[in-house]
Amino acid sequence: MQKSLSASRASFSAIEEDHGYAARRLDYGPGALNEEPKRRYHILLMAPAIVTLAAITIYPFFWLIYMSLHKVSVARSDRWVGLDNYARLFGDVKFTDGWLLLLKYSALCLTLEILIGVALAVILNGSRFEKVLVTVFLMPMMMSPVVAGLVWYYLYNGTFGWYHWLFQSIGILGETSILADIDTAMWGIVIVDVWQWTPLITLITLAGLKRVPQDQLEANMVDGAGSLRNFFTVSLPNIYPFLLIAILLRFMDNFRFIDHILVLTGGGPGNATRILPVYLFDVSFQFFKLGRGAAIAFTLLIVTIILGMILVRIFDDPKKQAASGGAGETTDD
Amino acid sequence: MFYVPKNSVHKTVSRRKFLELGGGTAAALGIGSMTVGLGTVITRTPVSAASSEDAKWRQYEGTKLVFMSENTPPSFAIRDNIKAFYDQTGIEVEIITDGLPIVQQKVGIDLRGGNSDFALSYVQDKPIGAPFADFYADLTPLLGDETLPQDPEGYGRDAWFENFLDVCGVYYDRDRLIALPYDSAVACTFYRQDLYEKYSKQFEAEYGYRLEYTKDSTWQNVLDFATFFKKLREAGEDVPYGYAQHNGNFTWTTQLDIQRMQFANGRWIDFDIDDKLGSREPGPCNWGDEQSVLIMEKFKALGDVSHPDNLANGTLELNTVYQSGQIAMQVQYHEFAASVENAETSVAAGGKTAYAPCPKGAPEWIVNGGDAVNGTNCGIGGIGINGNASEDVKRAAYIFAIWATSKNTQFDVLKGVGGTPTRKSVMDIPEVQKARTRPTEMPNALTFDAVYDFGIKDPHFVLGPKIPEANEYHNIVAAESQNCLAGRTTPQEACATIKQQIDNLNGV
Repeated sequence: MQKSLSASRASFSAIEEDHGYAARRLDYGPGALNEEPKRRYHILLMAPAIVTLAAITIYPFFWLIYMSLHKVSVARSDRWVGLDNYARLFGDVKFTDGWLLLLKYSALCLTLEILIGVALAVILNGSRFEKVLVTVFLMPMMMSPVVAGLVWYYLYNGTFGWYHWLFQSIGILGETSILADIDTAMWGIVIVDVWQWTPLITLITLAGLKRVPQDQLEANMVDGAGSLRNFFTVSLPNIYPFLLIAILLRFMDNFRFIDHILVLTGGGPGNATRILPVYLFDVSFQFFKLGRGAAIAFTLLIVTIILGMILVRIFDDPKKQAASGGAGETTDD
Repeated sequence: MFYVPKNSVHKTVSRRKFLELGGGTAAALGIGSMTVGLGTVITRTPVSAASSEDAKWRQYEGTKLVFMSENTPPSFAIRDNIKAFYDQTGIEVEIITDGLPIVQQKVGIDLRGGNSDFALSYVQDKPIGAPFADFYADLTPLLGDETLPQDPEGYGRDAWFENFLDVCGVYYDRDRLIALPYDSAVACTFYRQDLYEKYSKQFEAEYGYRLEYTKDSTWQNVLDFATFFKKLREAGEDVPYGYAQHNGNFTWTTQLDIQRMQFANGRWIDFDIDDKLGSREPGPCNWGDEQSVLIMEKFKALGDVSHPDNLANGTLELNTVYQSGQIAMQVQYHEFAASVENAETSVAAGGKTAYAPCPKGAPEWIVNGGDAVNGTNCGIGGIGINGNASEDVKRAAYIFAIWATSKNTQFDVLKGVGGTPTRKSVMDIPEVQKARTRPTEMPNALTFDAVYDFGIKDPHFVLGPKIPEANEYHNIVAAESQNCLAGRTTPQEACATIKQQIDNLNGV
């Protein structure tokens, strides 16, 4: 056995020398991770994952672009149409209305979720029942969006829904249930989204609040600051990077999650809740116009990336970073 | 990993097939569909025309097939009774059921993607049959094949109720047949005769005629009934609403709701084409003409005095509203009678509900010179075979299709969970004849007078539109009629925008 080990070491040394590695023997000191052999080794280990990821992201991405330049419908005759699918979108009222509704829906959800989520986190932070309450608040988030949609569908139901009865009793609703009214249906969906995803904001904000330096808070209080001023001058700048992550996550989710809407209204009444991703779903899998659907999907992807970058640029403002006391560095890592 | 019988025709999945499944299907449906695809196994024992009937039924013993169907009574009943089929044929059939839009998506992806994960599928005439007709197998060579078992009653038009074979099986030309009638949902009127009797005198004092519903009752009468009940409610009386529409997010029935009223008044149809055959190029639509605008106005007037949740009530929700006693009348699909007559879930059970044909057109509402008829529409679900499947899979699937649509199976379905027959001969069974009057153990049979003896026959029957873009058509008509009912657009604007969108859709 000993002999075998010695032979292996000798053999390994020979390989190292053959490849010119001997002069850069691996050690475990500072900077060792940057050495080229180690990097190659890492790349080799990551290769299967990179190839798999490429297969399931890059291939469909180029396939999406290919389809968007073709007429791909239920008919067998798929054919090249160039940019026609894109050009036709400009004359499609449901496409433009879908964008407006999507922006409205996202803005409503995001604003409410941030406001309520942060408020809840501040209230919960350090409270006596924090752990129990956090667990309770997180429960909606653990539910499948389709199941959550179904639960609310029944709660909103005008015939036997408990929430319908409640909203009617306190005078918020008339005889018509929330999803049956073209003016309130969007609110019905926003409420469900806020109910399910505010806990995510609360969770992320709580994580940020735990990192707020106590000495800064205490120093501020010594200077006579109240709780509110303390929050805006100390806590908020410190949790800023965390909020950025939360906003980005929810923003992108709202641009792609349509489960609630499909279950609750299917895009109606009229087209009142037919946000662009719902229209995309209809075009692709109800009308089977896959070429047009691909064009819509591609524009949605590009706009999401651009808006995401704008959001990062806005929130990654160096002045605000400075105000956060360097906590913003976390996002740069 | 997978069970493969010794005499399997396809013992392995070919490299090409595997790549197709991996690339096409997995991209569309996810890895789950691969397991479905691989779940289909076909085995064969060749037979000749002179073989015994038993040998013909059992020639694919050991085969496994997947049938994707809508979650309607026949599918549940056949699934409950599937052992009888297995015992007769040795073929295992996995029946997967879901809501119609989901079935349409899954089956559409399967057919359009060139796969055959679902060897058999539900062919609802407009949402599935019209767009995907070219992707189904033509059944005509199988119907005359002497090496396959055949139904002794045959498959001609006379074997089924009027129009049924054309509705679900024939699309755009009569050379191909892609489905056999399997399930039917035909519209008829459900009304609370107890309430009609109770308020008859009060109604007569105000409107000058009796509060009663017959096959000659018109849509104007229905508007009067609904207005009367709404006024009573507003006066503080504890009465239900008179009427409710289907205008929820199930766009297929939402579209049918306005369609039957349009047809009843002058036999107006969407396109100038053969309604039962359909057309790949239907040309300009008739929406926006004077007749369609007038009926849209009346539809809105009826909506204004109907149940307030009109825009959320799809077919199921509307029936729940009726079962809970919130409305006195609905035009509903006849398969729902079984649930209405269930005393445990419905306050309208126990003889309170009567069934009649759909309302008739009102002569004063007809401006196009057409006839006033009892406009009756439907959804006839056929059972079709995937055109992408191998010849052996098609033959094995055919054996299931003829079994599922045979007289005895349909009778079992009707008796078991309240299905609705498509074969005429089921009506000749003494038990069924007896069941058509109360007391009955087959509640759906209470609708048969209104549906099979009257509504499905010309000139009352309306189908359309069978066009490749049927699903987008439904979506447009549903959304714009909802906008009109909500007061967002006038009837003129609604009809004009429907015409503009549909003509654009059809390249006119």
